[in-house]
Amino acid sequence: MSKMYQAIVVGAGPAGSSAALTMARAGLDVALVERGSFPGEKNMFGGVLHRLPALEEVFPDFWTRAPLERHIIKKGVTFMTGDSSFNTTIEAGNFDRPPYNGYTVFRPRFDSWLAEEAVKAGATLITRATVENVVLRNDRVAGVTILDRQGEINAPVVVAADGVLSFTAKKAGLRQPTFDPAQMAVGVKALIDMPREVIDERFGLVRDQGFANEFVGCTGGVRGGGFLYTNYDSLSVGLVFHLASLRTSGKTPYDLLNDFLEQPQVAKMVRGGRLQEYSAHLIPEGGYNMIPELVGDGILVTGDAAALCNATGLNLEGINLASQSGVLAGKAVVAAHEKGDFSRRGLQEYRRLMNDSYVIKDLKLYRKAPHMLHNDRIYNEYPELVCSVMEYIYRIEGAPKENLSKLFLKTAREKVGLANLAADAFSAWRAL
Amino acid sequence: MNIDEIFDFTSFTIDREPHIVLDPQVCVDCDNRGCVNSCPARCYTWSEEEKKMTFVHDGCLECGTCYVVCHRNAFTRWRYPRGGFGVAYRMT
Repeated sequence: MSKMYQAIVVGAGPAGSSAALTMARAGLDVALVERGSFPGEKNMFGGVLHRLPALEEVFPDFWTRAPLERHIIKKGVTFMTGDSSFNTTIEAGNFDRPPYNGYTVFRPRFDSWLAEEAVKAGATLITRATVENVVLRNDRVAGVTILDRQGEINAPVVVAADGVLSFTAKKAGLRQPTFDPAQMAVGVKALIDMPREVIDERFGLVRDQGFANEFVGCTGGVRGGGFLYTNYDSLSVGLVFHLASLRTSGKTPYDLLNDFLEQPQVAKMVRGGRLQEYSAHLIPEGGYNMIPELVGDGILVTGDAAALCNATGLNLEGINLASQSGVLAGKAVVAAHEKGDFSRRGLQEYRRLMNDSYVIKDLKLYRKAPHMLHNDRIYNEYPELVCSVMEYIYRIEGAPKENLSKLFLKTAREKVGLANLAADAFSAWRAL
Repeated sequence: MNIDEIFDFTSFTIDREPHIVLDPQVCVDCDNRGCVNSCPARCYTWSEEEKKMTFVHDGCLECGTCYVVCHRNAFTRWRYPRGGFGVAYRMT
């Protein structure tokens, strides 16, 4: 059986549902195709949802209606070694007042809700449907076929929002046929059950306040980092590894996650918690240089499928970029319907909107960050340097102290090398 | 935490037909086998005695790691499971 729509969106994640919602609100007949039995079933992420300016525009009461967990009022960074850690945290009054800057969320719940909003606006949600191929007519994308189902779903335009590996973009010839492991990271996460009062007490939180912490030096020398986020009554704790580095390390993600959870300071934070779920997913971390062709004849690429992920080392943004690109793709499709032109040229409006948005601007600004982060010293030597200097400062031994700047230089020379320190500082300065 | 248990906490609807299929000969000749240590779900096992790579699709988290780390393109099939099958996250 074949069915005709005015647009097809592949993937009901934040990018796809934002696109479907935008188009449905403009009156288009949209099919939102999802391979899970419900939207969000296949999706995981670290756990913090940043503000979504594009969705707030189409959807002013977004934040009061979405199924969110805690709003983040406290952010921390921890430099860690096997048995020491040095923390910095920022807790700001502004983070505790609306509009809140970020929330923890559960993807199965959040993605389901966003897709449901697209359905309420008139989109047709088709679940349990894995897209197998794109339909080409006169070299233009004109629909999709579903694995193990007869017939085609047709439309003059397809929005690829099918995630990091985007086989839809690949089959339309828009993304590279293979990926460079140096441009990819894998995240693994343990969801740990813990009573709400325990979380409030342990992390110094009241009401709906939440805490988000990132860690460096906790990945057994593999390039990457760790995170711990508070939900209402659970913790999301995990690690992210650069794939090229993980591959050659011979280490496994789950053993490293276990070591992380058993590091003495982390062990205290998760003590008494019960594991609820283990999950993993790829993250496109190549930045600006990894972005594929965004527009083809009859097709647009959005979200992770377009590698729209900003990893600067301190922040890891993805869902906000995904939803923004989804909204902009939706607007471009609406404009293309008005002109009746779905060719690459007719859909260029998406490229223009993207170039003017913070999505492309931020990725361009931080385009050197992925290169800077490919530096093993960040993940081993620097956390050790920070921890050992701080430990020395606070240690009382009954002997005269050394001059602090001399001490720092001496330790830096031992752990990192001064030429490396200068080069790394310069590279970080240029990248950020 | 007992590391062997973490895999038991995630839910799956297992398809009879695997969504990933290997050409085992490619793995025999591989000088890297980064899939074995990189796969977060422990789906790949290399037996040095038998010179054989075993892939089990049951616990696959559909993360995509093997698709990217395999530089020999050992896959005769790499797709996501049919609709309704595979990993089912509840609260991640």
